[in-house]
Amino acid sequence: MRKIVYIIRKEFLQMRRDPPMMALLFIVPIVQLLILGYTVSTEVRNIRMAICDLDNSPVSRELADRFRHSRYFQIRDVDRQQTRIGRLLDDGRVSVALVFPKGLSENLARFMPTGIQVLMDGQDSNTSTIALGYVSGILENYVQDVLALAAGRLEGSDLHLLRVEVRVWYNEDLKASHYMVPGIAVFLLTLVTSLISAMGLVREKEIGTLEQLLVSPVKKHELLIGKMIPFSAVGFIELALAILFAKLWYRIPIVGNLGLFALFSLIYLFTTLGIGLLVSASAQTQQQAMFMTVFLMFFFIIMSGFLFPVENMPLTMRTLSYLDPMRYMITATREIFIKGATLHSLYGQGFALVAFSGVIFTFAVWRFQSRMK
Amino acid sequence: MKPESGVKPRLFAILQKEFIHIFRDPRSLVIIFLWPILMVFMYGYAITFDIREIRLGLLDEDLSTASRDFVRDLTGSGYFRITQRFSSREGIEHGMLERRFTAALILPKDFGRDLRTVREVPVQLLVDGSNVTTATVAVNYLRSFYSLRTLELNAGTFRMPFSVEPRVWYNPDLKSAHFIVPGLVAVVMMMICALLTSVTLVRERETGTLEQILVSPIRPFEMVAGKVAPYILLALLDSAMVIVFSILVFHVPFRGNAAFLLAASLSYVYCALSIGVLISSRAKTQQVAMMAAMVMTFLPSFLLSGFIFPIASLPLVLQAVTYLVPARYFLVIIRSVMLKGVGMAALIKPFLFLLGFGTVVMAASVRRFKTNLED
Repeated sequence: MRKIVYIIRKEFLQMRRDPPMMALLFIVPIVQLLILGYTVSTEVRNIRMAICDLDNSPVSRELADRFRHSRYFQIRDVDRQQTRIGRLLDDGRVSVALVFPKGLSENLARFMPTGIQVLMDGQDSNTSTIALGYVSGILENYVQDVLALAAGRLEGSDLHLLRVEVRVWYNEDLKASHYMVPGIAVFLLTLVTSLISAMGLVREKEIGTLEQLLVSPVKKHELLIGKMIPFSAVGFIELALAILFAKLWYRIPIVGNLGLFALFSLIYLFTTLGIGLLVSASAQTQQQAMFMTVFLMFFFIIMSGFLFPVENMPLTMRTLSYLDPMRYMITATREIFIKGATLHSLYGQGFALVAFSGVIFTFAVWRFQSRMK
Repeated sequence: MKPESGVKPRLFAILQKEFIHIFRDPRSLVIIFLWPILMVFMYGYAITFDIREIRLGLLDEDLSTASRDFVRDLTGSGYFRITQRFSSREGIEHGMLERRFTAALILPKDFGRDLRTVREVPVQLLVDGSNVTTATVAVNYLRSFYSLRTLELNAGTFRMPFSVEPRVWYNPDLKSAHFIVPGLVAVVMMMICALLTSVTLVRERETGTLEQILVSPIRPFEMVAGKVAPYILLALLDSAMVIVFSILVFHVPFRGNAAFLLAASLSYVYCALSIGVLISSRAKTQQVAMMAAMVMTFLPSFLLSGFIFPIASLPLVLQAVTYLVPARYFLVIIRSVMLKGVGMAALIKPFLFLLGFGTVVMAASVRRFKTNLED
């Protein structure tokens, strides 16, 4: 027991003597919390647009105004001719161009359908799809308004309107940060604890101090426990930082039980530390350890639903995602933070995490022990 | 022959040493070559905001032909899939808490009759806002579905006066893989050239072999060049693999000039290396180098470059930061070359930026490296 304490103290001393590392352990999470919370939003805004108004009538000007006042579009160019549009798209100065054809308002008055051309730079297919949806939406809104006006005028006519009342639960304003920040907390915990445990152990191997430790009276399991406790402490500090940021910076109301979240995190730590341990058992240099861990992280992040919803993925990918322990932790964290979920609705996630942690950690310890012989 | 004298043999010796380091470790080598392939598949298939089959709970209080038609047409679009039906409002909240559906649709009693007699017919949609992406999409789909429905309902009296005629250029089928996968080149090159090189340079310092090299006749420049050269080769190989796979697997077109792309890639590699050397000139341990490289290279290339998330949607402060991210410029180049096939003339600005960025940072870091070595 005393020996474990010595190892723990040694680890903390080592960290304290390395101020750049200490600083980075805090700067990295803060930078990530700041950037990720704002980057990942599905709301596409400020789409650069050019309008080519060949009609130049009150109707076409009204339509152009509606696009100008929409926060989704930024009108960069309005023209009466169609000559410049190709260049604007080619140079990437706009990504959508609307063409209002000649005769638009006349056709409208005579109830003749008119085609409005939407030229799009389709490179970014996601943004383009969303942009096309916005364009249709604005045109539909215009028609609805004209329709409503007509309905008001033609009292007793046969017009009927469907009205959708949308009620959003749990995150009324559909704020992306409410959804992302709990995910970032999990991402930080995963990245930092697996990386520092992988590299920390390999470092001793690389500079030769591991041999010295192994010939000392410290037993292997004591060495392991003594190493893992400080790494876990770092993990929990990162989590605390993330929660603080969620509350104070992003003003996210955390409705769930933080104790339950801590319990899940503790279980999950055995997975991330286990991965670090597994990597350190195979790697000879810190570079290898880092590369292997980052490689795993790419898989973890993509398959966990942290950035991209798993439900949309093709079946193979969705099936693979069940092998990603981070997926369960992300779901559990979001449910706890946003919906206030209790253990009762998270049994599945809890069970999966216990299983992953048990298997990965046991295997890692076994590998580590046999490698050290 | 005396291999110790002359710049070339000394550079060659370091190069050889670094190659031996890399090849002695087959595991890393496997990862280096497997990694881009896996990335291509994962990113090509997994990233899509084209959300379909949103799970829907349904409470149809009307149970009329009209309400059934409405639901049939809604689910027929492929955007919604009914996972649970309710006979009363009870249980809806519980079902949502248990994640059995993302949204619940409530068609009121007399829905069918109202459609014929009343001016405004309310339909209620309850949405689980905890999954913002899906929730937003669900709301938008339903909105555009009901506008269409409204128009159909009034087809006798009113017709939609506009039809939207989209013409999509450069990526007519709107495939997200065409956008994302070529972009991977930017991330892969940055990872290898900045992350791996910064660590490998610091390694010599941490393990104490740097001093041994310094007392040998090798000059600092030769050491740095010899150590980073193998990674340049690996990065270019990996990038070529990404491009070949994106063409073979996802049928991404290659419309532009390959030679220009190679030149742009080299200048991007130069930027990445300059950052790697800058980090290694300051970091004392590999852990510090790695963490710093994460913040300075990996995160910005991934998040602040337009790789996946559009720059225009970022807050203004972050938009300003993106101008300092080399990946931003390289992404414009590689996408324009592959998808648009535009010539060098239109891409001269981003190309010059890459060269300039690399030169400024490299100058600063080499200077720093020298003074650090002399300490």
